[in-house]
Amino acid sequence: MTSRRSCRLKVPDGNDLVEAELVYELSKDDLVQAHLDWAPVRLEALRRLHESHRPWPEHWHWDWSKKAQMLDLLAYRCMGIECEGHFQGLMMVSTLAVKGRLASQLGKPVLYIEFLENAPWNLRSLAGKPQFIGVGIRLLEAAIEFSDNEGFGGRIGLHSLPQSENYYRKYMTDLGLDAKQSQGLRYFEMSTEQVLHFIERR
Amino acid sequence: MPDQSIRRTMTLNLTDAEMRALESLSIQKDLSKTAVIRQALRLYQLVDRRLSNGEKLFFEDKAKREKAELMVMI
Repeated sequence: MTSRRSCRLKVPDGNDLVEAELVYELSKDDLVQAHLDWAPVRLEALRRLHESHRPWPEHWHWDWSKKAQMLDLLAYRCMGIECEGHFQGLMMVSTLAVKGRLASQLGKPVLYIEFLENAPWNLRSLAGKPQFIGVGIRLLEAAIEFSDNEGFGGRIGLHSLPQSENYYRKYMTDLGLDAKQSQGLRYFEMSTEQVLHFIERR
Repeated sequence: MPDQSIRRTMTLNLTDAEMRALESLSIQKDLSKTAVIRQALRLYQLVDRRLSNGEKLFFEDKAKREKAELMVMI
């Protein structure tokens, strides 16, 4: 049985909220379906960006159907936000704890977010005006819940693409460029204290 | 917790030494004993899959300039 809970997303132009569902464990079929939904929209948006000589999102090449095989392993879990019959955002986490790097939680277990992506129609860089707002926040909440449930104290960490650094800097601590990471990305971590603050202000 | 993944309970029979190792890891890693066992299972499955796919697992000590392949996974 798929485990779900309700959540809400914002719509632009006003304070209207729409009902959505957080799906805690996505199947390989879910990822393939999301890819089939997202790919044509993404391609069309990229074509428009190309024609107008605007930069592409750094993750334009992500293909969730290719990540589906990772779900054969207990070490990976995918979650998603579903609304109006489509996935509005997807996230893959590693269920193998990583060591905390923040001084306040050095060596303590942290849930590592491998990938987090909004549907292409929710990205300002692709769609202009997003269909739904708050998908990233809902997914970060899900990661915190999962981390807590795993006994990791709600602590989460991730490497951010440069275009998303300012977003994560709002909620997490920027621990700088990670020379050991294959792409040399910056590493961000959310401490237990930041988790509490994040939950209070959501 | 809203994540309602079905969980099953089992009894685990460990020797004193194994229980001490589990307790030690539990304290050291700041995880419950159940969480340690779950981490171990996930890691075992991941390593086993990659070894089955023909990849190799090495431990490296840069200071001693030693690199040893892990051969014990069955």
